[in-house]
Formats: sequence, C-alpha cells, structure tokens
Amino acid sequence: MARKRYKADHHPGELNLTAMIDVAFQLLSFFLLAIKPVDVFANLDAFRPSPEKTNVSTPSAPMIKIMVLPMNPGESGVYVLNDTPMTTPQMESRLKKYADTDPTQTILIMCAKRSTHKQLVELLDKCAKYKLTNLSVVSSAGI
Amino acid sequence: MRKQEEPYLTGNLTAMIDVVFQLIIFFVCAISMQNNTNDDSITLTLAPNGTEVKAKDPREVKIDVHKDGTLSIAQQPISPSLLGSILKKTVADYGGNPDAVPIILRGDESVLHEKIQGALDACSEAGIVKIKFAALKEKGS
Repeated sequence: MARKRYKADHHPGELNLTAMIDVAFQLLSFFLLAIKPVDVFANLDAFRPSPEKTNVSTPSAPMIKIMVLPMNPGESGVYVLNDTPMTTPQMESRLKKYADTDPTQTILIMCAKRSTHKQLVELLDKCAKYKLTNLSVVSSAGI
Repeated sequence: MRKQEEPYLTGNLTAMIDVVFQLIIFFVCAISMQNNTNDDSITLTLAPNGTEVKAKDPREVKIDVHKDGTLSIAQQPISPSLLGSILKKTVADYGGNPDAVPIILRGDESVLHEKIQGALDACSEAGIVKIKFAALKEKGS
C-alpha cells in the first residue's frame, strides 16, 4: 500500500501588488509634474563702512574708487573708475588687471542713489570673478 | 506518524505600505515648504561668480528689499528704524559681536540704491559692516 503523504496545507506567499504599483506610479507622475528645478543662490560679500569711519577723501592706503551711476533703460551699466567713465566690458578688463597686480587691494564702490541694485550686484559679481575680495560699498551723497 | 506542520508566517503589508507612502508624501511636501521661505516676489540679479550658498546659518538675518522699496524680514514688512532696532537687539543678544550676525540682503534687481541704503544704514547703526548681497548663481526654471 502506498504511503499517504500529507502535504503542508499552506499557500505559497501571495501579495497583490497591483494597487501598490498603481499608487507608486501615480505618485511618481505627480512629483514629476509638480517638481520644479530649484534656483541656486549665491552670496556676494562686501563691507559697509559705518558713516563716521568712512573718509573717502583721505584714504589711508591706495584705493580703487568705482562709482555706479544711474543708467538709462537698455544700457548695460555706467561706471566711473577713478574719475574715468567706462562701460561694463572696459570695467571688467580693468578689474582683471587690478586682480593680477594685487587681489587684496581695497575697492571702494560708491553707488548713486538712482542707480539700480542690479548694477551693484553685477559689479560685485565681476569682482568675485577675479577674486577681488576687499570690497566696500558706500552710498553717494549726490545724484 | 504524521509530520508536524510548520507554522507559515504571513503578514498583511497593506497598512505598512500605506504608512510608508504617507511618510514619503509628508517629507517631500515638508522639504518643498522649507525651500519656499524666500520671498518669490523678489527678482534677484544673476551672479554666476558668487559664492554658492550651501549651508544655512541659523543666525543669519535675511532682509528683503522689494521692488517698491519696502523692507521686510521673514515676509513681514518693516520700517528702516525698526530694522535698526531689531539688528541692534540681535547684536546685543550675541554678546555685542556684530560679526556673529550674518546679514543677507536680498534686493530686487530693479530697486534703486536709495532704497537699499535704508537697510544698509540700519546695519551700520547696529555696527554690522559685513553684508552678503544675495544673487542667483543659477536659475532653476
């Protein structure tokens, strides 16, 4: 007589994954559509000397003085470097020259009241490009 | 003799998977909310050569200068005189050390310098001389 074998009375492991996969794809689609690339922020360091300590007329060390003037719409930037008016590309080449000589020299940036913040930030960015780190920002009394 | 049946382990994973998805959704939403603390109405100037902001300093004070010249901290409008008082108090809280209070000035690109000057003067009043001007290194969208 053949021996009767008892099979274990259990089911193989079953898990219905359909619903989970559905939800996973829903979430994936949602985040792919909803997500937007994040902006990368940067900081541009500068010093703001307090008014009583600022003495522009008698600097203790040789100083590069850049004045940021108000510009008309459409202009790229109007700067005056040590009393010489110049455009952004001219300014950039001069900054490169200064950086090659001594990147630690003080640059005094004087902003006219009617100049835009964009002009200042663009100038600080150009200085950062040539690793000019000793920057002071002051506000011009006139214009 | 009948062989003793081994117990078969089963578990209902549905609840666990539900919770896992809930947690994923919670963290994804929380992270995006954390990134939105900056005021989006301010258009920052593009500065590809600036130092990239990698870590956030918990001490930092972000001053927003809007297109119309209004100042705000944490999206709360503020006058230049009140800003000066707040900065003075903050410096005093850090033992009178102005260098312990990093200032990040987020000015709209079109705002005139005379409006920025108000915020800068408030910093000077509090003895803060180091200013970080916020800019966009890379535009995401």
